[in-house]
Amino acid sequence: MSTDFAEWLRARSDEQLRELVALRPELITPVPAHVEGLAGRASSPSAIGRVLDRLDRFTFAVVETIAVLPSPIACAPLRDQVARALPEAPGAADTATTDTTAAATATPITAASVFEARFRETLDRLRTLALVYGPDEALAPAPGVREVLDAPAGLGPPAAEVFRHHHRERLAELIEDLGGTGDSREELAALLADRETLTRLLGEVSPQARAALDELAWGPAGGRVPNARREVRLAAAQSPIEQLLARALLGATGEESVVLPREVGLFLRGGRIHRDLSPVPPPLGGVERDRARVDLTAAGQAFAFTRAVEELCERWSADPPGVLRGGGLAVRDLKRVAALLDLPEWVAGLIVEVAHAAGLVAAGGAVDGEWLPTPGYDAWKVRTTEDRWVALATAWLTMDRVPGMIGERDERDRLRSALHPDLRHPAAPEVRVTTLNLLAAAAETATAETAAHEAQETRAARGRGARKTAGAIVPAGAAGARTTVPAPTPEAIRERLAWEQPRRRGAHRDRLMEFTLREAEQIGITGLGALSGHGRALLPAAPGGEGGSRTASAAELLAPLLPEPLDHVLLQADLTAVAPGPLTGELSRWLALAADVESTGGATVYRFCERSIRRALDAGQGADEMLAMLERHSTTPVPQPLGYLVADVARRHGRMRIGTASAYVRCDDPSVLDEVMADRRSAPLRLRRLAPTVIASKTSRATLVDSLRAMGYAPVAESLDGDVIITQLDVRRTEGPPQPRGPVTFTGPDADVIAAAVRAVRAGDAAHQARRRPVDAPAGQVPRSPASATITALREAIRQGSQVWIGYLDSQGNATSRILEPARMEGGYLTAYDETRAAVHRFALHRITGVSELQA
Amino acid sequence: MADGPLIVQSDKTLLLEVDHEQADACRKAIAPFAELERAPEHVHTYRITPLALWNARAAGHDAEQVIDALIGFSRYPVPHALLVDIAETMARYGRLRLEKHPLHGLVLTSTDRAVLEEVLRSKKVQPMLGERLGDDGVAVHPSERGNIKQLLLKLGWPAEDLAGYVDGEHHPITLAEDGWELRSYQREAAEAFWHGGSGVVVLPCGAGKTIVGAAAMAHARATTLILVTNTVSAHQWKQELLRRTSLTEDEIGEYTGSKKEIRPVTIATYQVMTTRRQGVYKHLELFDARDWGLIIYDEVHLLPAPIFRMTADLQARRRVGLTATLVREDGREGDVFSLIGPKRYDAPWKEMENQGWIAPADCVEVRVTLGDEERLAYAMAEAEERYRFCATTPSKTRVTEALVRRHPDEQVLIIGQYIDQLDELGEHLDAPVIKGETKVKERERLFQAFRDKEIRVLVVSKVANFSIDLPEASVAIQVSGTFGSRQEEAQRLGRVLRPKSGGGGARFYSVVSRDTVDQEFAAHRQRFLAEQGYAYQIIDADDVLAGD
Repeated sequence: MSTDFAEWLRARSDEQLRELVALRPELITPVPAHVEGLAGRASSPSAIGRVLDRLDRFTFAVVETIAVLPSPIACAPLRDQVARALPEAPGAADTATTDTTAAATATPITAASVFEARFRETLDRLRTLALVYGPDEALAPAPGVREVLDAPAGLGPPAAEVFRHHHRERLAELIEDLGGTGDSREELAALLADRETLTRLLGEVSPQARAALDELAWGPAGGRVPNARREVRLAAAQSPIEQLLARALLGATGEESVVLPREVGLFLRGGRIHRDLSPVPPPLGGVERDRARVDLTAAGQAFAFTRAVEELCERWSADPPGVLRGGGLAVRDLKRVAALLDLPEWVAGLIVEVAHAAGLVAAGGAVDGEWLPTPGYDAWKVRTTEDRWVALATAWLTMDRVPGMIGERDERDRLRSALHPDLRHPAAPEVRVTTLNLLAAAAETATAETAAHEAQETRAARGRGARKTAGAIVPAGAAGARTTVPAPTPEAIRERLAWEQPRRRGAHRDRLMEFTLREAEQIGITGLGALSGHGRALLPAAPGGEGGSRTASAAELLAPLLPEPLDHVLLQADLTAVAPGPLTGELSRWLALAADVESTGGATVYRFCERSIRRALDAGQGADEMLAMLERHSTTPVPQPLGYLVADVARRHGRMRIGTASAYVRCDDPSVLDEVMADRRSAPLRLRRLAPTVIASKTSRATLVDSLRAMGYAPVAESLDGDVIITQLDVRRTEGPPQPRGPVTFTGPDADVIAAAVRAVRAGDAAHQARRRPVDAPAGQVPRSPASATITALREAIRQGSQVWIGYLDSQGNATSRILEPARMEGGYLTAYDETRAAVHRFALHRITGVSELQA
Repeated sequence: MADGPLIVQSDKTLLLEVDHEQADACRKAIAPFAELERAPEHVHTYRITPLALWNARAAGHDAEQVIDALIGFSRYPVPHALLVDIAETMARYGRLRLEKHPLHGLVLTSTDRAVLEEVLRSKKVQPMLGERLGDDGVAVHPSERGNIKQLLLKLGWPAEDLAGYVDGEHHPITLAEDGWELRSYQREAAEAFWHGGSGVVVLPCGAGKTIVGAAAMAHARATTLILVTNTVSAHQWKQELLRRTSLTEDEIGEYTGSKKEIRPVTIATYQVMTTRRQGVYKHLELFDARDWGLIIYDEVHLLPAPIFRMTADLQARRRVGLTATLVREDGREGDVFSLIGPKRYDAPWKEMENQGWIAPADCVEVRVTLGDEERLAYAMAEAEERYRFCATTPSKTRVTEALVRRHPDEQVLIIGQYIDQLDELGEHLDAPVIKGETKVKERERLFQAFRDKEIRVLVVSKVANFSIDLPEASVAIQVSGTFGSRQEEAQRLGRVLRPKSGGGGARFYSVVSRDTVDQEFAAHRQRFLAEQGYAYQIIDADDVLAGD
C-alpha cells in the first residue's frame, strides 16, 4: 500500500471525498474506519475494475497511458503522449505550412482546443475518481491500477517481466546475440528499450518475421506457436519465429505461447500507445424520421402490444399452460401463444416475460403447477390503455430477464425456456437504459449540431475569422421544436457504446443491446427506429424530465395518440360486428360474452354464432334484451339474419331444463302429493312439484325421509325455484398476490449517507492519526430518554456531525456510557466513532438507554 | 388523429368501412396488394398475404407505395412490425430472376449474392441447375423452368420470370365487334395480361371472362389451347368464340370425352386431360400436338393438381388464367402464382355492379319445420342418411310450389341434389328435369327452350354446377345441395345470378329444414353469400304458405 496515495487522499477536501464516494459508492459499503482504509478499498482490484468499467474510451485511454508510462509523470508529457494517439495529431497542425488559409486550419485548431479541454477535464475526473493521484507535475496511477490493467492498450508486459523466468545462461546468450553484455533481465530490458538496437534488430529479420511482429503490434500482444520455449541462438535461427525468439523480440510465456515485450510493442507503434483515439464520442446520426410519425407508429405498436398481453392473459385465464418441472414455460406452449397472437415466437416470448415481470401472470394453481393471471391482472385490466402500457414498459425496462435468449441453449446445452428462473442477466436493465439513453442523446446531439450549424452559418455571414467554439449552447426548447428525430443504426449505437464503455464491451452486451432495440420497437417505446416521445418520458434520466411525474407524463404523452374508446359497432349480415376501435368497458364485455372475437388490432371483429348467443343466454341475458343492446349500439339497423339468429337460438334455449335435486318424492297417487304440498310442516323442506306425481327436494334424502316420516308419510327432488343455473366462464387466478422481483435501481447512495460516510472516515482517520487516547466518559448517568427521542437525537447528531453522550447496555448487560460521533443509522444499528474506545463501533439501538448532548 | 376509412388488424387483415367518403380512393389504393376476402354491407375485409404483396410487386408497385397507402388511409397508427414485414416480404420478390442468356439459355440470376447462395444450398434446387456462371448467375435446365419457380416460391424467394415466351404458330384471330363491343374493363384486363406476359385475370361471375379470353387470343394471334372445366362449358366457349371472333367452325376443335379434334383453337376439358390409363396421362400429347402460342385456363381456382404438373412444362408459352377468386380451398394459390403467373387484373367489383354489369341478388332462406313424426324419424336415421332425409322432406315440395307460384312471370330454376326429389318436383310442377342421365343434346335443347322462354320452370340436378349460362333465370330455388366445399357451392349459386335483360335483380331461395344438418350447411352458405355482399334474409315457410 502506497502511503503516498493515502496521504494524497487525506489531503483532499471533504467536498472532494464526498464526490469520490458518490461516484464510487462501493467504497463506503461498509464505511472504512479511516482514510487508510478508504485508500485500501480504493486500491482493491475489484473496486478499480468497477470504476474502470464506467470510463469512456478516451478517459480509459488516459488511464492506460499513465499506467504504461513510468510514474510519476508530469502533465505535459502525458498530454503529448495522449495527443499522439489522435487521428490528426494537434502537433501536426502546428507544423502545417503557414500558407494554408485560416479557413483550412480552422478545423485542426478547433480539434486541438477540444482535445485540450477534454484532456484537462479527464484528468480532473480521474483524480476525482482517485484513479490517478498527485499534482500536475507528478501524476501517478492509483495503487492497483497497473495490476488490474494487465495488458494496457493491448501492449504486452515489459521485457523485465517477460524474461523473468529465463535462466541466467539463456539471458546471457540473448544479450550476447543482441550485442550487449550481461546476464540479467534488467540489462536485456535496457537493450530492448534502446531505439537504435531495435531499429537494427528489426532490420535484420525476414519480411515474414516482420509481418508477424506487425500483426502483434496493435494487440493482442500474445500469440501461440508450438514449442515456444526453444532456445535458439541467432546463428541457428531459421523460421521467422525463431528469428524473433533469438533476438528477444518475442518472449515465451508458456510452452506454446509467446508475447511481444512492451518495449518492442511501443517501438513498433511508433511511440504511440493508442491510435485513432477520439476525445469526443463518435456521432450517432441516423436516418431522420418525422417526429409525429415516429410517435404514431410507436403508439400503434404500444396499443398492439398491450392488446397482445391482454389476449394472452385472457387465454391463460381459461386454459393455463403448465409450469415445467424446472420452472418456465414449455416450448410447445410458447408456440401456442405465438400462434394465438399471430406473432413470431420471440415476440411471444417477450410478451410472456413482460406480463410476468409486470406481475400479471405467475405460477399458481395446484402446487404452483400452472401459469395463471394474478389478481393484479384484474386491476391492470380496468386501467386505461396508456396506464397499462406504462406498467408494461416500465416492467420491461427494469426487469433483469432476457427474453431474447429464449430458445437458445445454455452452457449445459439445455434449452432456455420462457419464464425459466435462469433466463436473466444482471446487466440487462442497465444495458436497456443505456441504449435508450443513447437514442435520447442522439436526438439531443442532432439538435445541438443543427443549432451549432445554424450558429456557424450566422457567424459566417457576419464575417470570416470567427472561431467555431465547441459545445454551442442549445436553446432549451430546440429539441421539442424539431420535427424530426434520428433513428441511429444498431452499428452506430454499438460503436458509441464501445466508445462510452470500452471495458464493458463484449458479444454479450452487444446482444443485449440488439435485444433492447428490437424489443423496444415491439413494445412501442421506439418507432421506426427512433425514440418516441412517450418512450423517452419513461427513461429514468430523461433529460428535461421532472422527477416523480415522469411515468405520468409518459402516459399523458401516449394517451392522445391512442384510439378513443367507442360505444358503437357495425353489424353486418354475415353475422359479424365490427368495432372500429377499442370499445367502452360495458359494451366490450357484453360483446365478449355474446360473440366470438375473430380478429383484433385497431378494430375488433366479433362473430355471432349459435354457440355465442347461447352463452349469453346462459349468462342470464334475454333475447329481447340482447336485441335491444344491439340496436342501441349499432349505427345501422340490425341485419335481419342476426335478429333471426338471436330469436331462433332463444326459441330453443331453455326448452329443456336441467336441475339438481338431491332427493325426490314420487307417488302414483297425485292426491297424496297434493297433501304433502299443502302441509305447512313441509315448508322448511322447500318442496317443488315437478309433475303431478313427482316432487323434488333440495334437502338430502335422509332429511327428506325423516321429515316426511315425522309428518306421517313414507319418504323423496330438481331446482326448487326453477331458475336456470347461471353458468360462468371458468376464470382462474393465483391464490396470493404477485411476487414480482423488485425493480432494479441504479441510483447511488443519497447525499446524506455520503456526507455521513465521509464524516465517519474523517473522524476515524482523525482518531487513527492522532492515536489519541480514549476519552473518559463524563461521570454520572446519562438521563434516560424514550426510544423515539433517542433516534431523533441521533439522527440530528448524524446530520450535524456532532458528538453525543449515550448510555449503553453492553452485551453483558452492564450499563456504560460512551461519547460517540454517530455516522450512520440503519437496520436497528448505529455506526459511530466511539471516542471512549477510539474506534468505530456498531451499537444496537435498542440497547441505547439515553442520549444527551455533550457539554462543551 | 386521421379519420381514415381503413383499420389495420394485427392478423394482417384490413377493414375498409365502405360508407366512408374516402372508401373508394382507399379501395383503389389497397386493391393491388390486398385480396378482398369478405364484402358484406358495411365493412369489407381485405387480407395482405405474401402472394398478394408479390402480385403487387409483379404489377410494378413498391413497398413505399404500399406503406404510404396503409399509413395514409389508416384510422389508427399502423403497427411498425407490420410495415417492416411488408417491406421485407416485398423485397423478396425479384431478387432472383429467370432470364434468357444468349449463350447459356435459361439462367437464374440475382442481384443479391447471399440470396442466390441460400437458394443454391437447397437440396431440392440443386438438381434443377446447370453450371455456375460467375458469382451472380447459374444455368437452369430449361425443362425445370416451372418447377424451379414453384420451389423458389416455397423457399420464400419468388423469382421474376423474364425469360420470355415462344411466339407459337401464328393464326389470325380478331374480335368481331358487330353489335357489341368490348367493355372497358375487359379491354383493360386483356391488355394487362398481354403486357405482363402471363398471369391471372380476376373477374366476378358474370363479368364476361370468356370475352376476356377471346380478347387475349386476338392479342396473341396464335394457335390457342383452352382448358375448361367440363363439356357443356366447352360448348359454350365454342359458341361464344364463334359469336365474338373471326374464328369459324372449322378452326375450333373440341377435345372432350366424345370428340378428339385438334384444330388451331382447341378446347379441352380438365377431365379429359387428367384421364389416366394404367397410370399414364393418355392425352398429354395434346400439349405438344401444336406449337401453341397461348394457353387459357378457365376457372383457375378449380384447376386440378395434375394440370399444374403439366403446366410446369409449359412455361415458355403464354398463359392466361381466368377466375372469379384467387382463393383455393386446397391452398394451392402459390402454384397458381408461380406456374400460371401473378395476378394481372382485378376488377373493381363494386363499380361493375354500379355500372350494371353484374346483377344484384337477393338471397332468401326459407325455413321449413319438420313434422313431429319426421323429427322422430330424423333422430333415428343413420348419420350418413340424415342429410338426405332432412333435405328431401315432403314439406319442401309444398313450399317450393308456393314459391314458384309467387313468381308467375319469371323464369325459375330449381336446383337439387337428389333425383327422386327432383323427379317429384318436376311432376308436381309439370316441369322438365335435367339430370345426369339426360343426353347432352337433350340438355342443350332444354336450356335453349328455357332461354327462349318456352319453358318457364326447369328442374336441374348438380350437372348444372359449372359454366352453364342461363341468362334468363331470375329466380333460383335450391331444395337440396351438396354439402361439400362451400366455395364450390356458392360459386354455383352465384352462376345463376347473371345480369338480366330486364335489368331487374335476381332472387335466390334456398329451402332448408329447421334444426337439422340442412340448417347447418345453410349457415355456411349464408355466411359466404353475405360475405360476397348479397342481401340475405331468413323467413319461415309458414309465411310463404300463408301468403300463398
